[in-house]
Amino acid sequence: MAMQASSPSAFAPLLACLGLLALWEIAARVIAISGLPPASEALRELPVILSDGETLLNIAASLRRMLTGFVLALLFALPVGLCMGRSARIAAFFNPLLMVIYPVPKAALMPIIMLWLGIGDASKTIVITLGVSLPVIYHSYQGARAVEEKLIWSAAAMGMSKAARLWRVVLPAALPQIFIGIRTGLVLALITMVTSEMIARQTGVGSILFNALDMAQYASVYAMIVIIGVLGFVLDIIIERLRCKLVAWAEEEREIAVGTS
Amino acid sequence: MGALPLACLLALWHGIAAAGLAPAALLPSPAAVVARLLEQMRNPLFLQHAATTLIRLFAGFAIAVVVGVALGLAAASNRRAEALIRPLWRVLAPVPKIALYPALVLLLGFEHASKVALVVADAVFPILLATYQGAAAVEPKLIWCARAAGASRSRTLLTVVLPAALPTILTGARVGLVISAIVVFLAEMLTSTDGLGHLLIYASRSFHTVDMFVPLITISIIGLLLNAGFNAMRKRLLAGFPDEP
Repeated sequence: MAMQASSPSAFAPLLACLGLLALWEIAARVIAISGLPPASEALRELPVILSDGETLLNIAASLRRMLTGFVLALLFALPVGLCMGRSARIAAFFNPLLMVIYPVPKAALMPIIMLWLGIGDASKTIVITLGVSLPVIYHSYQGARAVEEKLIWSAAAMGMSKAARLWRVVLPAALPQIFIGIRTGLVLALITMVTSEMIARQTGVGSILFNALDMAQYASVYAMIVIIGVLGFVLDIIIERLRCKLVAWAEEEREIAVGTS
Repeated sequence: MGALPLACLLALWHGIAAAGLAPAALLPSPAAVVARLLEQMRNPLFLQHAATTLIRLFAGFAIAVVVGVALGLAAASNRRAEALIRPLWRVLAPVPKIALYPALVLLLGFEHASKVALVVADAVFPILLATYQGAAAVEPKLIWCARAAGASRSRTLLTVVLPAALPTILTGARVGLVISAIVVFLAEMLTSTDGLGHLLIYASRSFHTVDMFVPLITISIIGLLLNAGFNAMRKRLLAGFPDEP
């Protein structure tokens, strides 16, 4: 299935990008306001922005925070989700808490956390971790709950300890579901990353974006949006590839992403 | 049992505030926050801000439902539409929509339109995806029956595919609704002169910590209530459908 779909699906998104750019170019030329520069103008700005060492450092800082937040979230959310999936008691304990946290805009915690930890890396990383954790917990919970009981019985019958069963049986079996959570988490990590940097403008892509807006450098605004968009798309592809490698045995599962910024 | 962690969290918060570990300017006690919340609930100005946020939320969500369901049905029922819509959503779905917000502000101004547009951009994808999956999974025999009985293509779509896909569509719409509540708040935080998000930023600039918690809690309660209300409505609409696993 995946092999068949891969050849046309590699071209189609490229065509879609070109189509969007063409549409943008035409719309900008027809509307002709300074707030919407043509696509060509924004794209010409790209090499200028990307050759600037300062900007690259900012992008690297954003990515570093995102990665740290992401890894912290995995370290924390995976065990919680898996344990919830294997024990009804733990699930009953955490579920109401998660339900209450679910509709809280995580990025909006930024101003409050800033009061405690300052505007530096710590607050932003925490906000990202919070944002990523929920979908990972939710999907690893669903994945661990659906593990074939017989597999666990067999492992237990062969003398595997509880912790070893969780690590060697439940985790691999839940991996396809977990990847859905990770993929949603990635989108959330990007959203919270950009938003937190817009709120505490110090370093990072979000602060460059909004500073350009304030200085009315409209071509740069659009170029930065393109950069962030490409970042999201590329990271998404990387996770897809990783998923294909690790869980090639599983049937592709599609589910609506549950989770929010 | 489930209330335990919530109670612990509140007790911890209260304990830290009461023990004076954190000054009230940094962490107000939960009692102070609740008192302020109740006070604000009677404040017409605060309610007006909340109403502004709700108007934006519902406008954006309504547009997202219409657009998402229409595109999803089109993609599921028409091969050409699918070839057009699928790559677009593949490219646009992983893009953090909030990054589009500056562009939306430039195009649509600082008023309602740019915030509503951002809500639409964020809420439309889960709804579109759910509609597409739901409509693509409809039992083909149902469609053949309707077609054999002489229903036109568009009629089949409206009277067979749409109701059959409804459970999935509503799940997607519920996700979209909570996303809408969150996004409208973030948009108001970034640039706005009214709405709950603006109240949070305004309070943070003037270091009124209690007033920072109040809008945040309000929008979270709004999200919870919308979620619960939507679930109740979903149950009513889906009376007679088999239960979902």
